[in-house]
Amino acid sequence: MNKLYNIHTVWLMLVLLTLITYCLSFIDTNGTAIMLVLMTVAFVKGVMIIRDYMGLKGVSLLWKIIMYGWLTVVCLVILVAYLLV
Amino acid sequence: MNKHPKPIPGDLAMWIIIFAELLVFGIFFIAYAIVRINNVELFNDSQLTLNRETGALNTILLITASYFVVMAIHALKKNLSKKSSHYLYASIACGSLFILIKSIEFQDKFSAGIDIGTNTFYMLYFLLTLFHYFHVILGLMILFVVALKTWKGHYKADQTHAMETAGSYWHMVDLVWIIMFPLIYVIR
Repeated sequence: MNKLYNIHTVWLMLVLLTLITYCLSFIDTNGTAIMLVLMTVAFVKGVMIIRDYMGLKGVSLLWKIIMYGWLTVVCLVILVAYLLV
Repeated sequence: MNKHPKPIPGDLAMWIIIFAELLVFGIFFIAYAIVRINNVELFNDSQLTLNRETGALNTILLITASYFVVMAIHALKKNLSKKSSHYLYASIACGSLFILIKSIEFQDKFSAGIDIGTNTFYMLYFLLTLFHYFHVILGLMILFVVALKTWKGHYKADQTHAMETAGSYWHMVDLVWIIMFPLIYVIR
């Protein structure tokens, strides 16, 4: 990790993204755009936890596929299910 | 360029457990989203009765607890076992606060006459959050054992395996909540 992107800034970004999610909860979240933003934020937070907290950067492709694959499938299915309504 | 991928942190058996747990939680999340399709109004109205402030605070607590676990591993790698145990205790404190806040939230719902049989939303709400709640308790127990052994000096700089194993489980609990917070508390 470089000087700007390190475990401390990862924590800070995760907190800020959580606060953004919280603030967005006060907007009427029926819209497609807001739904996309919220799920993208959740996905980005998930990537940071897998990569930087779990330390999966540099591990074999199989484990990356399993972890990022789980995150992608869950976020996509939720997104599609909500946009279908 | 490194030709060989680095080994997965911690014990392989724990990662198989993590994968199994993620599959179960994933099915729960997908079930929630699909069941909602035919119960949109019920889900939206019921969701508004949840406390978003405690949901956000609990997210920050879990993120911070995970951060302290990472810091504990970094400290142990420098052979600073006392400092490492202090980080783990800080992580346990954050996780315990999560449990306390969630317990109050459950108590509030029960005292308002809301339980698992109230409606479909609350059935899924209690199933998902209680399932996660017990995982947090298990994670705290694992962290406590590792923290105690670290504090007693059982681990040296080259013995991070147990802490990485415990940490991986804890991060899984965090990862699941990262999806659960927007799903249950925010998006509608």
